[in-house]
Amino acid sequence: MKIILNTLLIVALAVLTFSNGARAGSQRTLNIVATTPELASLASAIAGERASVRSITAGQEDPHFLNARPTYMVMARDADLWIRMGLELEVGWEPVILDGSRNRSIRVGQRGHFDAGAFIPYVLEVPDATATRAMGDVHPSGNPHYMIDPYCARAVAIALADRLIDLDPAHADTYRDGLKSFLARLDRAMFGAGLVERFGGDRLWAAEAEGRLWELIEEEGAEDDLGGWRGAMRPWKGKPIITFHKSWSYFAKRFELVLVAELEPLPGVPPSPAHLARVIDLARARDVSLILKEPFYPVRPARFVSRETGARVAVANTFAADASADGFFKLMDQIVGAFDE
Amino acid sequence: MKIRNLVFFGCILSLLAARSAPAQVPAGRGDRPVVSFNPNISVVIDTAYYWHSSDEELDHVLEELRGFGHQHNDGNDHDHGFESGFNLREIELIFEADVDPYFKGWAIVGIDPAGAELEEAVVLTTALPWGLQVKLGKFFSDFSRLNAQHAHEWNFTDQTLIYQVLLGDQGLNEIGVQLSWLTPAPFFLLAGLEVLQGDNEVAFEYHGDGPLPERDGPRLFLGWLKAAPNLTGNHAFQAGLFAGRGVRQEEHLGPEGHSDPGSHYLDGHQWIWGADFVYRYTPPRAYGRGAFTLEGGYLGRRADIELTAHNNPARHHLLGNSLVREQDGLYLQGVYGFAPRWRFGLRGETLGLTNREKKPSGVEEKFDPSWRASAMLDWSLTEFSRLRLQCNHGRYDTAEGKENVSEVFVQAVFSLGAHPVHRF
Repeated sequence: MKIILNTLLIVALAVLTFSNGARAGSQRTLNIVATTPELASLASAIAGERASVRSITAGQEDPHFLNARPTYMVMARDADLWIRMGLELEVGWEPVILDGSRNRSIRVGQRGHFDAGAFIPYVLEVPDATATRAMGDVHPSGNPHYMIDPYCARAVAIALADRLIDLDPAHADTYRDGLKSFLARLDRAMFGAGLVERFGGDRLWAAEAEGRLWELIEEEGAEDDLGGWRGAMRPWKGKPIITFHKSWSYFAKRFELVLVAELEPLPGVPPSPAHLARVIDLARARDVSLILKEPFYPVRPARFVSRETGARVAVANTFAADASADGFFKLMDQIVGAFDE
Repeated sequence: MKIRNLVFFGCILSLLAARSAPAQVPAGRGDRPVVSFNPNISVVIDTAYYWHSSDEELDHVLEELRGFGHQHNDGNDHDHGFESGFNLREIELIFEADVDPYFKGWAIVGIDPAGAELEEAVVLTTALPWGLQVKLGKFFSDFSRLNAQHAHEWNFTDQTLIYQVLLGDQGLNEIGVQLSWLTPAPFFLLAGLEVLQGDNEVAFEYHGDGPLPERDGPRLFLGWLKAAPNLTGNHAFQAGLFAGRGVRQEEHLGPEGHSDPGSHYLDGHQWIWGADFVYRYTPPRAYGRGAFTLEGGYLGRRADIELTAHNNPARHHLLGNSLVREQDGLYLQGVYGFAPRWRFGLRGETLGLTNREKKPSGVEEKFDPSWRASAMLDWSLTEFSRLRLQCNHGRYDTAEGKENVSEVFVQAVFSLGAHPVHRF
């Protein structure tokens, strides 16, 4: 008995002593914690040296089913800014972490809480009032897999820079510069340097928003200047594909792919033989040539459909693998690369 | 009973109120998001089929365990004990919302065929500085991971033996205040202090009437510490230590109740202490395939209670002498996701590795340990429904000798409404 009490006391004292020293050094830069690496990557790109940025998920797991590990509470405790995808992606664990962190400045609604999903220009698959759980893992506010549309990522980056300036006005210039170079890099990565040089990024994104990018390119005879992800995905325009989970809607909208079916009968429900049989029929009828799947989903159902239809299985992640400034670009390169044979 | 009925009708009323509230209509871009100030409401339905090989339910066998004895669940209609055949174990109604910028709160009502009972009614601070948090109301003590879990969150259908026998089916569920501190350590280190009323029917039994002295509440004090290293990748580990002390009074009534010549009364304190750990591996795979959880714990107690009254004058020379009970128990359980949505689990338990009793007369007795082994198979169709088959086999050291009992559970748990949280 006494041993336990003494241990409690000693540990408490030890913590008090060494923790003061441990925190003193980190006061100068912003501590940013994002729920996914691609969000963290945007923050890294904008804040640069001004912030230490970490991500809760490592990009290998499905963030929907994460557990509220104690370590995450420690990360949240030290955060000046918490960035989430929103649209209920983190609904299962974010409240537990935020409560457990005892950090009042990052609670929902505070300046230190950045809900990226609230800043995207459009939301797909918002269920109507008749939605029930019988439809599987339906997100009541819409599909949360928006970061793989660079147009959404761009909107998030712009809003995030505003928030960083709001939090740390003394270094507003750093964040403005960070945003500027991120956007410049994004323009080139999306459209290719040639096209950006000719039209400027803003004009291209405006055309993108109005759905008249091809019109613009055709009118101006700029086909040869098109590069980047848009250029690489051009041959896939209008092509039907099959995905494992309903996580490619935004990507498909941006790059004009046609989503024919998912291997999951309902979001979050593993593929069943009966459903796969229907998918195979659909794939044959629509002449599908590609099945897209995240690495954490089982490969067997995808291979099965592939064998039956001749469609190729491409593995690509919808979550970035690293939280550095390059993380988001690597994520998109990886996805676009998966379309190449 | 009246209070129970009130609670029950209250629940029905609030459910109706929630139903008649305007449905959340998803708005388009620009004018979203839709905000609702109604509490999140969810309902958990927990049902089971139960079979056992003994002459009586395991609850009664456990009441006769030597050393642990004196487990009367009287007055506690709302227990999770299983009866042979079909059981509607519990319907849990959960209401949860932010109160204001400073508090959040939730109320959890458990309803079973015996009536309704308030399981939790909690206000939690959200704005205290320095890593502090206060929880007040009625709640499951956070002294251990297992005690804080509701029955439908357990990895096995039934509670572990040591928790059931020492703390009762409900565990330590008390009215009081908890102060916890997330220390500024570079790893997770959480310290907690709980001051509780001490009305547990089993562990911290209190009467305060007749020959037993009144003792002002709060009567139960608990302290605990949880630590988790910053493991990388998909591994997570947490360990905890706890200790507590509370008033314990025992009434040993003969067949004629308070007037029985054999009836006697004891008053004193009980210490509980122990440790627990959990390790979780979450693989980078969908549908819980390859996920592994290993958890274990130890719980011990020492009750030191004085004989304060005895109806038999021939025993009055023993008044003021102490009855000392020293018991403990261990559990270790592992659960593995062997296929998408499917999990298999094993649990081993012992009860009474230390199992001593010193009577007021000075006679010391030692009793044998009991043990139980369990195997579990469950299938979660989605996050919201789970079917489970569990088999137990145990050997119990009862007053009538060693008793072997086998049990089988077929359990179905469904959760409706707001999304459940994934606690660690």
